[in-house]
Amino acid sequence: MLTSVFIAAVSLALFWMAAFTLWWQMHAWRTPEVLASTRFGRPDGGEHLSFSLLLPARHEQAVLDHTIQRLLESTHTDFEIIVIVGHDDPETTAVAEQAAARDPRVRVVVDTHEKKNKPKAMNTALPHCRGDVVGVFDAEDQVHPELLTHVDHAFRTTRADVVQGGVQLINFHSSWYSLRNCLEYFFWFRSRLHLHAQKGFIPLGGNTVFVRTDVLREADGWDPDCLAEDCDLGVRLSSVGKKVVVAYDSDMVTREETPGSLMSLLKQRTRWNQGFLQVYRKKDWRELPGFGQRLLARYTLMTPFMQAFSGVVIPLNAAVALFLDVPVGVAFLTFLPLVTAVVTFVFEVVGLHDFGVQYGLRVRLSHYVKLIVGGPFYQVLLAGAAIRAVWREQRGRNDWELTTHVGAHLAEPLREDVPA
Amino acid sequence: MTSTLPAVTAAKVPAAHRAAPETPSTGAAPPSARLRALRPDLLVCGGLLMVILVVQGWNIADYPTLSDDEGTYLAQAWAVQQGRGLAHYTYWYDHPPLGWIQIALLGWLPAKLSPGSMDVATMRIAMLLISGVSAVLGYVLGRRLSLPRWAAGLGMALFGLSPLAVVLSREIFLDNIAVMWLLLAFCLAASPSRHLWHHFGAGLAAAAGVLTKETMLVVLPALFVTMWRHSHRDTRKFALTGAVTACALLGFSYPLFALLKGELLPGAGHVSLWDGITYQMSRPGSGFVLDPGSGSYGVLHSWLYYDRVLPLGGLAGALLLLLTWRWSLTARALAGPSLAVAILAAVALRPNGYLPAMYVIGALPFLALVLAGGAASVVHAIVCRGRSEREKRYVTGGRYALTAVLALTAGAYVVPHWYDGDRTAVTADANKPYRQASRWLSTKVADPKDTRVLVDDALWLDLVHAGYRPGLGAIWFYKADLDPAVTKTMPHGWRDIDYVVASPTVRRDAKDLPNVRAAIQHSAPVATFGTGDDRIEIRRIGATATGGAR
Repeated sequence: MLTSVFIAAVSLALFWMAAFTLWWQMHAWRTPEVLASTRFGRPDGGEHLSFSLLLPARHEQAVLDHTIQRLLESTHTDFEIIVIVGHDDPETTAVAEQAAARDPRVRVVVDTHEKKNKPKAMNTALPHCRGDVVGVFDAEDQVHPELLTHVDHAFRTTRADVVQGGVQLINFHSSWYSLRNCLEYFFWFRSRLHLHAQKGFIPLGGNTVFVRTDVLREADGWDPDCLAEDCDLGVRLSSVGKKVVVAYDSDMVTREETPGSLMSLLKQRTRWNQGFLQVYRKKDWRELPGFGQRLLARYTLMTPFMQAFSGVVIPLNAAVALFLDVPVGVAFLTFLPLVTAVVTFVFEVVGLHDFGVQYGLRVRLSHYVKLIVGGPFYQVLLAGAAIRAVWREQRGRNDWELTTHVGAHLAEPLREDVPA
Repeated sequence: MTSTLPAVTAAKVPAAHRAAPETPSTGAAPPSARLRALRPDLLVCGGLLMVILVVQGWNIADYPTLSDDEGTYLAQAWAVQQGRGLAHYTYWYDHPPLGWIQIALLGWLPAKLSPGSMDVATMRIAMLLISGVSAVLGYVLGRRLSLPRWAAGLGMALFGLSPLAVVLSREIFLDNIAVMWLLLAFCLAASPSRHLWHHFGAGLAAAAGVLTKETMLVVLPALFVTMWRHSHRDTRKFALTGAVTACALLGFSYPLFALLKGELLPGAGHVSLWDGITYQMSRPGSGFVLDPGSGSYGVLHSWLYYDRVLPLGGLAGALLLLLTWRWSLTARALAGPSLAVAILAAVALRPNGYLPAMYVIGALPFLALVLAGGAASVVHAIVCRGRSEREKRYVTGGRYALTAVLALTAGAYVVPHWYDGDRTAVTADANKPYRQASRWLSTKVADPKDTRVLVDDALWLDLVHAGYRPGLGAIWFYKADLDPAVTKTMPHGWRDIDYVVASPTVRRDAKDLPNVRAAIQHSAPVATFGTGDDRIEIRRIGATATGGAR
């Protein structure tokens, strides 16, 4: 009896978790009107805002120049690029100085913090920004030349305080996990982020994000001690009622590549998860006015916990249902999480097809097979990262009491600073 | 406040698909405005619903004759309510059980209040609820398939008031419940908001329909076509795969159930889903429907006896719409229902298929919609085609006059026929012999608890409520020959039985059932109710042939 109740409760909990996640993941495709509204509006030709584009770079001399050149090709007429380099990184500094000498729109700011991370770098540059809007890019980003014009238009027509553009991993053919990683970004930026914007609670991405300079200064910039400073900024801004607009156009997204190895993906994800937990514990989200918003915030920020939980419980549940004698009705319930999993898989397959169509990429049968077969293993990876994050955050809290430098020592290299 | 660019969620979209608006408007209308816009629809639909409920509900218990199948499903619903599993005899996968599980839910509260209300005549009231919902869904579907208000109302009236529909939807048939689910699925598939989860819901509703009555499977392609037409190019692949996945997953719960019980595949000593399907697929055919000597022909004529307008007119309407596909917007809008009619007609025209009397139930709402759509198409052609601003007034007047003449002619043919049919339905008493037999068995038998009676399914629950032991005391007559669990308790054959209630069904089937036949042969009537072929005899085993009561 007790076993039955336990299995039923766990199965139902897993079912509802997966069902909600699925519901949100499919947000953009709910109706054709919703899908149409997730795109940028067509620019009207007017350009009234000026941009300060922050480009933090650390040991990225190989790609930095290309990124700067491409940003300078922007069709927008009024912007500056502020490259932020470390005082201990002469190679990158040299590349940045050369670019600044070639074009007056490029400036260099040197970050002298002893322990370096991305939020500190950006906070260093914030007082130097002259534009109406601050935009953030990473040193390896491929930015579309017309993006700024679209963002300008979006700011003016929607009276937004923040505009988040799309970021998309493209190299889905590289490995089984990059396939899933690409699709994760696809569902996140294409779909779920729009739901967050609509509901008024949004963890922002790490780049292709644009904030009005006065709003950003009013919010004291980024939290230098947070591992997910981008998510944190979004939570703080939406908690005080700032208007966030998300727009996704497949030809306008910032293109990126997946982490180079499974281990770095695991590390990246651990950091992202731990950042979410930190944001959860900072409790800024409690300022959100609506109960539903707070619930969504709680759920979204706790996702790492949930993933860790399901990672432990799903196998246990399956084993109990298989090896213990339970009534038919209860055995039925144990299949409920499987049902949502199958629906999710089916939508992922369709999503992969749509991804291929949107980006003109050829998706082969083998990719679909990899997507399905790799699914459970990717879940294991996510659960592993989640457990790791929870464990590290436990230790991080002890560190906080000792040093008041939360998590800073845990910071991975800047490259892995991924959008949440 | 944070938000995305505003999304339109309440756009009104005609059946012919149209691109999503480039510039979304400011959002949904407030509820009060929406209600105001809906008021004419509510009036038409509500008014018709009242009429339909009165015509279908009045005299529901006494007409038509209680059918054996009604008794079967209700008895199984009773078994579900009692926690005896899916049937009071071994459930053998004859049909998926969802249909009578729903009847059990519908009858749960009445049965709690008064256990005796779980008999066929009383529980027909539950079917009134079902057909009310179906009628409203029929109207909604008509509107969603862009029929004008009057045509949707016409469809609802045809579906609700045709004497054929009145007779069949009063009976506790699984098909009636399945039709409700299918109509819901079509309504969701034609959702004007083209919402992903509406289409997903359509898949779930369709699966519920199929799990209620498996024959609904053949209508699914028509549902798919409807969904295809009503989805938008940009979101279609998500909507359709979602719907198909939902339908398949819910549908698979049935084999999963069999698997979990260890009854998926045949094996010694247990029933199986496989055997159930094999039985249904190998049921002896009833002949070609147009061959005057066949059983199917008889079934067809039993339908046409009640009403010719809906079946034949609907078929003609479907043909008209399929032929005018290229020119008529209405024809394209009604592609789904037309296809459903075409598929069901094609299945009925199999050379030697099994055609049960309730088969037509699945087609009724689609026939009605297609007939109403055909009428709308004709009226539109007369009134609007080739009309210009400068048209002479007498020509316009002529158009309306022709429409009026056609409407009057149709009415003059249909109304008298339907009036007669529906008057019979609200006045005739076909079940008096059943009620009398039930009363006799409840009052005249001294010791019901130790009396064993072979009885048809329609009367079985009455006996159970009267105190007979369900299953081995009150026995479904054919179980005495076909269910080993019952024959085992009758080592001496007919000598172990006390009474046989020889209703028309029992007499008809006895020729293939040796134990039942022997019981009839070795018994004599102690009470007879009704006359002729419809009479019900209560025969006592071993009684002398003289002791008859009238």
